[in-house]
Amino acid sequence: MTVKVRFFARFRELLGTDLITNPNTGTTLLALVKELAGKKKEGYDAIFDEHGNFREFVILMRNGKRVELADAAAVAVADGDEIAVFPPVAGG
Amino acid sequence: MIRIQHEDVDIGALITAAKQPGTGAVVVFDGIVRDDGITEMELEAYEDVAVPEMEKIARDATEQFHLQHVDIVHRIGRLSVGENILIIVVSAGHRPDAYAGSRYIIEEIKQSVPIWKKELTKDGGRWVPGEHGHGAGKHA
Repeated sequence: MTVKVRFFARFRELLGTDLITNPNTGTTLLALVKELAGKKKEGYDAIFDEHGNFREFVILMRNGKRVELADAAAVAVADGDEIAVFPPVAGG
Repeated sequence: MIRIQHEDVDIGALITAAKQPGTGAVVVFDGIVRDDGITEMELEAYEDVAVPEMEKIARDATEQFHLQHVDIVHRIGRLSVGENILIIVVSAGHRPDAYAGSRYIIEEIKQSVPIWKKELTKDGGRWVPGEHGHGAGKHA
């Protein structure tokens, strides 16, 4: 299956964006983001704490809808999903 | 008009368009790149989510404050000191609703619309921290 992952703002600078991935069936949101972020230590450290949990300020979306960080380990991604990962917003 | 765009906007034209039969007040909010020792500001948006979120904010404001017209134009890209970042134009029958509606819209945008700002300086840049601990996609 194909899943697009989009990082924004500082996370984008560190990890890139619009990453097209082909995860295995059953891959969770947490596992997918961890794998991508793990390619660059600074990017990984920006998103995950020392225990491998999402930092509390990170915002996670699946197809434009927010996903609770606590649910990321239980939610499996599906073909065609768009996952977004970003820091707190600062518009206006 | 609810838009995210690179280009600036003609605020005068928005004011004209905001005047409806029965309009007694038009309030304009114009957020500007402040000279905080920066050279430029770079703005980035998750447009697929940001535009629908701004549309929802406009609908909510219209309902709560009896607004007659709402325009929200948020610019992205690289902006210089003094340039417009965000323009909100609202009209209502009376000024309390126009002021309150405008204030509601800007505060909601700051809380929930996925847009980020980076201040560019001679030495590099710094991302502006969100004013709120959590950001976009407030739970429905």
